[in-house]
Amino acid sequence: MLTGNAAAAWGVRLAEVDYIPVYPITPQTEIIETLAGWIANGVIDSKYVTMDSEHSMLTAAGSASATGARAFTATSSQGLLYGFEMLYAVAGWRVPLVIVNVSRGLSSPITLEPDHNDVLAARDTGFLQIHCETCQEVLDSILMAYRLAEDERVLLPIIVNLDGFYLSFTREPVEVPDVEQVRNFLPLYQPKHAYFRARQPMAQSAAVLGGLGYSYFKYQMHMASQNALAVYKEVCDEFETGFGRNYDTMEGYMLDDADYVLVMTNSFSTLGKAAVNAARERGLKVGLLRLRLLRPFPVADLKAAIGGKKAVAVIDQNISIGKGGILHSEIASCLYNDKQRPLLLSFIAGLGGKNISPDEFEFIINKMIEGEDTEDAGTAQLLYTDKEWQEMVRLKGMAGKE
Amino acid sequence: MYRLRFHGRGGQGARVASKVLGTAAFLDGYYAQDFPLYGAERRGAPVAASTRIAEEPIMERGVIPEPDIEIVMDETLLQDPLTMPLSGLKPGGIAIINTTHSPAEAKAEYKINANVLTLDITKIGLDMLGMPILSTLAGGVAARIVGLSEDSLTEAVEKVLSEIITDRNLLDKNVAAALYCFNAITPAETETETKIEIELKTSDTSKKKSSKVISLPFEPAEVSSPAINATGNTPLRMTGNWRVFRPVWNYEACTRCMICVARCPDGCILVNEDGYPYPNYDNCKGCLICVEECPTSTLGKVMEVHAKNEIE
Repeated sequence: MLTGNAAAAWGVRLAEVDYIPVYPITPQTEIIETLAGWIANGVIDSKYVTMDSEHSMLTAAGSASATGARAFTATSSQGLLYGFEMLYAVAGWRVPLVIVNVSRGLSSPITLEPDHNDVLAARDTGFLQIHCETCQEVLDSILMAYRLAEDERVLLPIIVNLDGFYLSFTREPVEVPDVEQVRNFLPLYQPKHAYFRARQPMAQSAAVLGGLGYSYFKYQMHMASQNALAVYKEVCDEFETGFGRNYDTMEGYMLDDADYVLVMTNSFSTLGKAAVNAARERGLKVGLLRLRLLRPFPVADLKAAIGGKKAVAVIDQNISIGKGGILHSEIASCLYNDKQRPLLLSFIAGLGGKNISPDEFEFIINKMIEGEDTEDAGTAQLLYTDKEWQEMVRLKGMAGKE
Repeated sequence: MYRLRFHGRGGQGARVASKVLGTAAFLDGYYAQDFPLYGAERRGAPVAASTRIAEEPIMERGVIPEPDIEIVMDETLLQDPLTMPLSGLKPGGIAIINTTHSPAEAKAEYKINANVLTLDITKIGLDMLGMPILSTLAGGVAARIVGLSEDSLTEAVEKVLSEIITDRNLLDKNVAAALYCFNAITPAETETETKIEIELKTSDTSKKKSSKVISLPFEPAEVSSPAINATGNTPLRMTGNWRVFRPVWNYEACTRCMICVARCPDGCILVNEDGYPYPNYDNCKGCLICVEECPTSTLGKVMEVHAKNEIE
C-alpha cells in the first residue's frame, strides 16, 4: 500500500537518481520528505539540496542534468508556475530531466485539490507529459520517463503528472519492481551532447539573435518531441516485457465496440470507468478513452481510437478561460480533416477537485445520445448537481453575497 | 464494498487510523484504498480520512459522501456545524463514537438516527499509551467492525507505525492498545451486531435516488468574485472547539502573578477586577502552556468532555 507520492519517490529511488534539488509545496511535499528520509537512513545516496524557490530548484535540476547527472525534482501548482520560466529554458537545453507535478488548482481563489490547469500551462514548453491514473502508474511512469527522455532520438525533459489528494495522498496496492530488473530496463545515462568534463569544455545554451538560429533550435525540439511517439512505443513494449504492465499512449476501456466515448485523463478516469460500467448495465454501448501521453500528442492513436464513433464527450478537468476545455480543442484539431469524425461534445468537470457524480456522467452520456440524433454538440458546459448548487447558494449567503 | 470515514482533529491520528485499517484489509486479501482530506495543516483542526475495502477492484476515488461506517474520534466534532461528521451516513449505517456515553445516551444526546457503538478510546489511549493519540486504537475498532483478523491488524499497526516512529516500546504499546480496542468494541446489544451485518450487505449506492444536473448560471462579479462581504464574522468561529483538555483554575493557590496571562499565545486569559486571571474558553485551544508555566498549583487540566459534563 503506497500513496501516489510514495510511489513517485519509489520511482526515483529505483531510477537511482544522482541529484535532487527540492522545495516543498502541498500536495507534493511527501515525495521529497520520503526521499530525504531514505537519504538520511543511507538507503539511497543521491545528492539532495533544499533550494530557496521553485525557480532555483528547476534551474538547479536542469543544470545538473546538463552536467550529465540523472536529476529529479517535484512540484505542484503555484510552484510549477513560479519556476515556469525555467521550464522553457531547461527544455531548450535538451536535457533529460524528469520532474513530477502533483496537480492542484491554480489561485485565485486559492485551493489545494486538483485540476490540470497547472500542468497544461506547461504543454508548449518542450517538456513531454505523462498523466497517471493510479499509484502504480506513477511509479512505472517515472522509470519509463527516464528511459524516454534519455533516448538520443528524444533528449527532452518530461513531466509525470499525478492528481493531488486523489492520488498523491491516496494509498492503494502498488507492486515495487526489483532494482536489478529496473537496471536492465533503464541503463546508466551516458550523454554525448550535454555533460561536464574538465578536459572537454563546452558552452551550453548559446544566445542567438536574428531568428535563423532560434527557429532551427525550436523546430528541432518539435521534431525530437515527435520522435518520442515512436520511441514511446518501444519503451512501452520493453516495459511490458520486463514488468508485465502495459501503458500505451492512451488507454481504452470498453472502447472497441463502444458507440459513445468519454475522454478523460488522470485519477478521475476511474470514476469515468465506473460510469461506463453503469451505462453498460443499462444496455448502452459506452466506452472510455484515457489520454496518458499528452506531449507529444499521439494524433494517430487518437484517430484510431475514436474515428467512426457516434459521439465523443471530452471531459476537461481544466479550463482555458475564454475558450473552454483545453483537451477538447486539441482533439477537435486532430479530427477536423477526417470524414469519419464523431460528434464532439465538451464538458468541464472536476475543477479544484470537485467530484464528478454518477448523475453528471449519466447527463453527459445522455447528451451524447441526444446529440447524435440532433447532430448538435452544444457548447461547453460545466455541471453542478442541484444539491451542490444549494450548497453554493448557502456559502454565498455566508459570505454576504445575496 | 465497505466505505468508512474517520473524523478526528489534526494530531489525533485519523489519517493513520485509515492507513492501519487499509493495510489490515490488504493483508487480509481485500482490495483497499485509504485517503485523507484536510485543509492547511493545523493541529486541532478537523480532519477526515477514508478507507474503502472491497472484494473487487475499487472504482471510486476521493471523498466518501455516504459512508457505511463512521468513526468519530473526537466527540466535540459532533457539535461543530462546519464538520458535521455524521452527514451522509447511510440509513442502517454505524456510527462509532469515542465517548464516555453509552450508545443509548449518545444516540439521544446527539440525535443520531443510525446504529451507534461507543467506546472511550481517549481513556484507553491515556491508560495504555500515556497520550490522547488514537490512530491505532480507532484502526483497531474499525478493523473489528468490518471483520478483519487480529493478525492482520497487528501486522498493519507494525507496518504503518514503523514508518513514522522508531520507539519500539511505543510501537508495542500501540499494538496492545489496538488489539484491546479490537476486542473491546463488541457491542453489548448483540441485536445491533446482527443488524449491522444484514444492512451493510444490502447497502448499494447505485440505487440511491438521482439528483438533477444543472448548468451554472452567470452571476455578476459582485456576487461571483471570491470576496467575503459579511463582516465581523471571525468572532463567531469558536476556535476553542479544538480542545482535548481545558485549563482549570484553583484560585486558592493563585498569587495573581500574571504568568499565565503573559504566556497564553492566543490572548485567551483575561483578568477580572480583583486581579485574578480567568479563561475565554470560546477561543482557548487547550495548548496547556499556562498549566506548564504556572509556578503554583493553581492551574490544572481536565478533559474537555468531562468538563462539559460537569457544567451540564
